[in-house]
Amino acid sequence: MASEGEAKRKCSGADCDNDAGSLQCPTCLKLGIKDSFFCSQECFKRNWGTHKALHKSQNSGLYDPFPTFAYTGPLRPFYPLSEHREVPKAIKHPDYWRDGIPHSERTSDGRNKIYILDKEAQAGMRKVCRLAREVLDIAAAAAKPGVTTDYIDEIVHKACIERDSYPSPLNYGHFPKSVCTSPNEVICHGIPDKRVLVDGDILNIDVTLYHGGYHGDLNETYYIGEKAKADPDSVRVVEAARECLDAAIKLVKPGTLFREYGNVIEKHAKSKNCSVIKAYCGHGINTLFHGAPNIPHYAKNKAVGAAKEGMCFTIEPMIALGTGRDKTWPDNWTSVTQDGKRTAQFEHTLLVTADGVEILTARFPDSPGGPIGMPVVETNGETKV
Amino acid sequence: MDVDDEDSPPLLVEVEPSSNDNLEESKPLKVPITIVTGYLGAGKTTLMNYILTEQHGKKIAVILNEFGDSVDIEKSLTINKGGEQVEEWLEVGNGCICCSVKDSGVNAIESLMEKKGAFDYILLETTGLADPGNLAPLFWVDEGLGSTIYLDGIVTLVDAKNILKSLDEPVQETVQHEEHDDHHGPVLTTAHLQISHADVVVINKADLVSETELLAVQERVQAINGLAKLHVTVQGQVPHLEGFLLDLHAYDDVGTLDVSSKGHSHLDPSIATVAINVPVLRVDQLPNLDAWLRSILWDSKVPAPDHGSLVEGNDHDTIEVHRLKARLPLSNGEVKIVQGVREVFEILDSPESTNSIDDVAGKIILIGRHLVDKRFEESFLNSIR
Repeated sequence: MASEGEAKRKCSGADCDNDAGSLQCPTCLKLGIKDSFFCSQECFKRNWGTHKALHKSQNSGLYDPFPTFAYTGPLRPFYPLSEHREVPKAIKHPDYWRDGIPHSERTSDGRNKIYILDKEAQAGMRKVCRLAREVLDIAAAAAKPGVTTDYIDEIVHKACIERDSYPSPLNYGHFPKSVCTSPNEVICHGIPDKRVLVDGDILNIDVTLYHGGYHGDLNETYYIGEKAKADPDSVRVVEAARECLDAAIKLVKPGTLFREYGNVIEKHAKSKNCSVIKAYCGHGINTLFHGAPNIPHYAKNKAVGAAKEGMCFTIEPMIALGTGRDKTWPDNWTSVTQDGKRTAQFEHTLLVTADGVEILTARFPDSPGGPIGMPVVETNGETKV
Repeated sequence: MDVDDEDSPPLLVEVEPSSNDNLEESKPLKVPITIVTGYLGAGKTTLMNYILTEQHGKKIAVILNEFGDSVDIEKSLTINKGGEQVEEWLEVGNGCICCSVKDSGVNAIESLMEKKGAFDYILLETTGLADPGNLAPLFWVDEGLGSTIYLDGIVTLVDAKNILKSLDEPVQETVQHEEHDDHHGPVLTTAHLQISHADVVVINKADLVSETELLAVQERVQAINGLAKLHVTVQGQVPHLEGFLLDLHAYDDVGTLDVSSKGHSHLDPSIATVAINVPVLRVDQLPNLDAWLRSILWDSKVPAPDHGSLVEGNDHDTIEVHRLKARLPLSNGEVKIVQGVREVFEILDSPESTNSIDDVAGKIILIGRHLVDKRFEESFLNSIR
C-alpha cells in the first residue's frame, strides 16, 4: 500500500544512490526530523559520523514518544509532558481523582439511570456550567500562534482553581492533564503537550469543571491566526460542526427522542460535504461526568428514550472533512481521523426545561470565537498557502 | 536529553506504513457473533467442542463471559483453528471512557481482529445464570457504526431431563433481572429468560427422557418462545451447523414468523408468545407504528384499544417484552420488518416486496411476560389509524 512517493524515496547516505525502503533513523524520528530514510543498516553505519551532526543541530529536548507509530496525518505529539499539576485539597475532588477510576459511573445506576434534576440540582448545574464557560473563554483568548497547548492547560488549571473547581479531565481514566486540546486532525481527547500552535491551525478546547458536586462540560473549536480563517476547508468543517450543534439543540424539549439528534446532525454535515465521527457521543452529565443517556451523533441509531424535563445531557458533534472513522494514538487518548483530514467539534451542556431547553454553557456576549463567513478565495492566480 | 553521544549508530527502525489508502467507507467484512446460553450441565461445553470439531477448518473465537455483563469480558479468549487453540487477551481499553458509543467488549474484539485477522465465527459462552437479554443489545451494534462484528443470534441449550423442573421452581439462584422482582406473579427463572430470548433452542440429552417427557418439554419451550427453532439432540450434535446454530441472521431476517405454539400460550404461566395480525399498512402509518412500538417496548404500556378504556395492569402485571419480530407489508408494495430485543428496536426495509410473497397480511410477534389477554391487536389497530 506504499504510495508512489514512498517508492521513489532515496537513501539519505551521502555516498549512496540506492532507493530507500521504510527503514528510518530512530533518533531522527524521535526528534521529528522527517524523511531520514536509509537503504540499509550498513549504509547508515557508514554515514553515522556525518549523520549524527544533524541530531545535534535539531535537538530541542522534545521528542515523539511513539516514533514507529503510523500517524494518519502530519500532527505529532511533543513530549515530554509537563509535570503533574496539583489541585489544592480544599477544593472538592471527584471520586476518580486519585486512582483514575470513576467508581460512581461504573455502578449499574451510573450506567443506566437517567437522572431527573430537582431545582437545587439544576441550580448546581447552572453554576458549574457558567464557571466552565468562563474558563473556556479565558483559554480561548490565550490560544494564539506561538503558544503551546501545555500553556493552555496551565491557564485552564489555574482558572479552575481560582473558581474553587476541580478540572474534571485531570486523572479521569488516568487522563494526565486538566483540559483536552485537539488540533487539526485530532477528533477529541488530545493531550496538552509542548507543540506550539501555528498560524493556520484549528484547535478544539474541551473544558469540564467539577464544582459543588456537579460537572459542567463544553467545548468549541477556534481558528488559530488569520491563515486558518482564510482556509476554505478549515472554515467549512468548523462552521459545519457549529451549525450541527445549533440544529440539534433546536430540537431539544420534553418528548424529543434521543435518536433524533443524530439524524439532524448527519443531514446537515452531509449538506456541507462533511461526515460525522461515529465513535463518540454526547452523554448525560450531572454529579457524574459521563452517564446515561448516550446521544449518538449519527443517523439511524437505535438509542432508547426521550428527553424529560430536568434531564441534563451534552450534545457534542464531531464533524470531519473526510472519513468519519477514528484511530487512537498509543497514548490511549488522542483520537484522530483515519485519513488525517481535519475535524471540528462543538459542545454544550443542556438542561431540558418544561417546554424547551436551557443552554447552561451558552456563550457570553463577549466570548471569544464565534461563527465566521467562508473566506473569499482570491482569483488573481495567487494560490493561498 | 542525550540522544546520541554514543559512537555507534542505533539500529534503523521500520515505520508502519500509514494506512490512509482505500479506507473510505469500504464495507467492512462482518463476523457473526453467537451468544450461547444454558444452565450449568445443559451441555454448553460439549456443544462448543462439537462446533469446533465440525468446523475445524474455520477460525473460531470462543469467549467466556463470566458475569453476564460485557464489562467483564476482559478475560482471555480462545481462538481455534485447525484443531489448535491459542489463548489471546482482550484489551479492554480504558473501560468506558467518555462518550464512546460502542461497548468496550465489542471494541476489544474488533481490535483483536485488527491485529490477528478476522475470525469466521465468534461464540460468546455465558455462564449458567446469565440473562442473555442484557448482552444482546450490546452486540446488536448500529449499522452506522461500521462494526466488524454483528449479532447473529442467541442459542440456548436446555437439558431435557431437568428443564421443566428449572422452569417451575427457582433454584437457589436469585434471578438477576432488573426491576421485576415482584413476588406476586408466577415465578420467573433464568431458564425462562434464556428461552424467551433464544433464536434457537437446543433440547439436549434427549436420550435421558421418555418420548412423552420429551414431547412435554418441546410443548413447554414452544409455549414460551414460539419463534425459536427447536433442535432435539443427544450430546449436542446438530447435523448441519450453518443455519441451525451458525449463520442464523436472527437480527436481520425475520423469516416467515410462523408461530408453532398456537393454542398453547397458557402452558407456561410466566412467559408467552403472542401473535398479532396486522393489515397492510400505508407509509403514512409508519410513524404511528413507531410510536406504538415505543409505548410497548420503552414504557411497557399498551396503548388504549378504544376510546375511554385503558389496558393498564396493576403494578405486578406490567408487560415486559423480551423479543419482538414483525413483518409488515405496505400498500406500496414494500415490506418492512421490525426487530426488537428488550427496549431496543429497529424498523428495517425487507429485501422482499409484496409481489414476491404469497401472504400479504402482516404479523407482529411478541415474546415476554404478562402479555396474554392484553388486546394488542385492537390496541395496534386503534393506534395506527
